[in-house]
Amino acid sequence: MSPWVARVPPVLVLAVVLHTAVFPQLRVFDTAADVLVVLAVAAAVAAGPARGAIVGCLCGFLADCFLQTPFGLSALVLAPVAYGVGVFQTRIHHVVRWLPVVAAAAAAGTAVIAYAIVGAMLGEDHLISSRLFVVVPVVAVVGGMLSPVAVRIMRWALDVDPRGPVVLR
Amino acid sequence: MALSRRNGRPRATLAFLVLLSVTAITLDFRSDGGGLIETARGLASDVFSPVRDAAARALEPVGDGLQGITGYGSLEDEADALRAELAEREGDRARYQRLLAENAELRSLNRLSDELAGFRPVTARVVSAPVSNFEQTVELDRGADDGVQVDDPVLTGAGLVGRVVQTSGRRSVVRLINDGSSSVGVRFADSQEVGTADGEGVGRNLAVSFVDLRARIAVGEYVLTAGQDFGSTIYPPGIPVGRVVTAERLDGELDQRVTIEPLAELSGLNYVRVLTVPR
Repeated sequence: MSPWVARVPPVLVLAVVLHTAVFPQLRVFDTAADVLVVLAVAAAVAAGPARGAIVGCLCGFLADCFLQTPFGLSALVLAPVAYGVGVFQTRIHHVVRWLPVVAAAAAAGTAVIAYAIVGAMLGEDHLISSRLFVVVPVVAVVGGMLSPVAVRIMRWALDVDPRGPVVLR
Repeated sequence: MALSRRNGRPRATLAFLVLLSVTAITLDFRSDGGGLIETARGLASDVFSPVRDAAARALEPVGDGLQGITGYGSLEDEADALRAELAEREGDRARYQRLLAENAELRSLNRLSDELAGFRPVTARVVSAPVSNFEQTVELDRGADDGVQVDDPVLTGAGLVGRVVQTSGRRSVVRLINDGSSSVGVRFADSQEVGTADGEGVGRNLAVSFVDLRARIAVGEYVLTAGQDFGSTIYPPGIPVGRVVTAERLDGELDQRVTIEPLAELSGLNYVRVLTVPR
């Protein structure tokens, strides 16, 4: 059995606990970090677009278990966002120290915007509001800060060769 | 064993995952609040509740500290405003007691039933802050096992907080009245005009729509739930909701623009009362 089959579930459980119990208590400007988005992006950085999309989909379904928006909305957003990050990462052919952090921050912000837009298309009009101007930067910045740790965790969980497209020093 | 950098057919994987997500969304819409998905949500809530409770208790001081740092200025202003309001409320309390006595006497004379007499209040503790940055919901430590059902009104001593939108055995989720998708039928206490109070998000007052242009709405006027006489079948009438902050008539508008400040302190809820219907 591949090691990631045993490692990924506990990582996801820990992420859910952080996402629902820890970070909602630690708010900046009434905004909490989105740990599951960071994990999905980290999986894509660590293991490429396919694995990233799968983890993103799983993270999305887990997030939707605790929300009142349509079940599957977060998965519908996170899977393509993580896929896009993974494709971007695999096209990097030189070592760039800060790029994973910037990619994670940009992807986290993009995921929030995409969530609001797709949610509004499904009838959740209240998701699009001026509050996005606060939520997007906070989630992006905190996502970037958490990404180095998250990428290392996902490299271990997915049993990925650390000599990936971009090496974290 | 290290994974290869390129998994086969990533686009096919993405297409499958998107299809899976769309299927889940479709199933959720078709189940209309019940079914397997709601069961899964309830199960997730019950399974994670002990860990979430423990983490919430442990981190509450840290969270308060962080809020204090980022919102120190507004906290000071809020404290000053609350002191002034408290002094005013002391005077109101005396008048309120007199009105209560009069009301009870008149009701007994006319044999009117108390709008809330048919409800069984259940006290619950708020155990979780909003999980999402877009939803204003809180989780309570009471669920279906305690008689809590979906659409039960939730209030504090000050006024309306929201309504139950999801229950599991031991937990329930409450959508607050300042949530963007919340709407409450309301009646102005003095003018008796009616309208719909819509949530505008965290830290924002409620916007009341469909208020007649000719209505005379005064700043400071209290607003209560309108109840069944306004078509609402969720909130019983007479529950305090808020107080008028602004009332404007703008050229070309078909109704007045009224905003109300919720009476209940929605950002610092600890204990609430759920009005359940006895089975």
